[in-house]
Amino acid sequence: MSLPKPAMRGLLAKRLRFHLPIAFGLSIIAAVAFKFTVTEPRKQAYADFYKHYDSMKEFSAMREAGVFESVRPTGK
Amino acid sequence: MAHPTQLGFQDAASPVMEELLHFHDHALMIVLLISTLVLYIITAMVSTKLTNKYILDSQEIEIVWTILPAVILVLIALPSLRILYLMDEINDPHLTIKAMGHQWYWSYEYTDYENLGFDSYMVPTQDLAPGQFRLLETDHRMVVPMESPVRVLVSAEDVLHSWAVPSLGVKMDAVPGRLNQAAFIASRPGVFYGQCSEICGANHSFMPIVVEAVPLEHFENWSSLMLEDA
Repeated sequence: MSLPKPAMRGLLAKRLRFHLPIAFGLSIIAAVAFKFTVTEPRKQAYADFYKHYDSMKEFSAMREAGVFESVRPTGK
Repeated sequence: MAHPTQLGFQDAASPVMEELLHFHDHALMIVLLISTLVLYIITAMVSTKLTNKYILDSQEIEIVWTILPAVILVLIALPSLRILYLMDEINDPHLTIKAMGHQWYWSYEYTDYENLGFDSYMVPTQDLAPGQFRLLETDHRMVVPMESPVRVLVSAEDVLHSWAVPSLGVKMDAVPGRLNQAAFIASRPGVFYGQCSEICGANHSFMPIVVEAVPLEHFENWSSLMLEDA
């Protein structure tokens, strides 16, 4: 009874055919995950912040809190 | 200003800094992509039983790992050049301020209309009021009008310094005998902190920069008051 001939060639190619798609796939998933968990939320956060930003209202609040040195709170 | 355990950049207070933040996110995403790929490949390489040492003439993989990095570099370079040219645009400033570095303080000159100039020394730790920030506060702040393009001409009187305000996205070397130009727009009112960014002697860490952005009317009142006091 003879054993089947083992694979003697193409071992690396077989390994690469298995691992390389996984490697590229994982790295693209990591990049896409970063894009949608960090990059896009940050852009959206800045867009949302400035969409209804009232600079004079914020300035007045900061002025009353005494943040500025060039402008004293009203009444002082 | 920076806060303890902070890992990323400070919140942007100028349009340029916002662009820099987004570019950094883009570059970091590419770094993560490459790092994940390399980490997986390293893991695969240390866990294999294959030990063929005679690997020659692998044209395909040589082409792949030449073209792919070139493509990645182009993907990084295009947004980078975009921001570079954006920062270099003719910006028609409403105000020009000279920031002069000394050992170890900054001096600011507002000479567009009158001759206003003052020094800006760090507030020593023992003189801080409650709520003030250690090693960041100064006795006189550089006040600018908010939402207006401002040009800062940076130079030095003695040794190299560097005028930097991270939240405005500005860093410019102060070189004796040379005028360097930086420009920014403060998108919102507030107080923005920075520190000298070029080693300049014993008190290099103790010559901070504070920029205060206020509405134009208050900036004009402040500059009139400063001129009267001078």
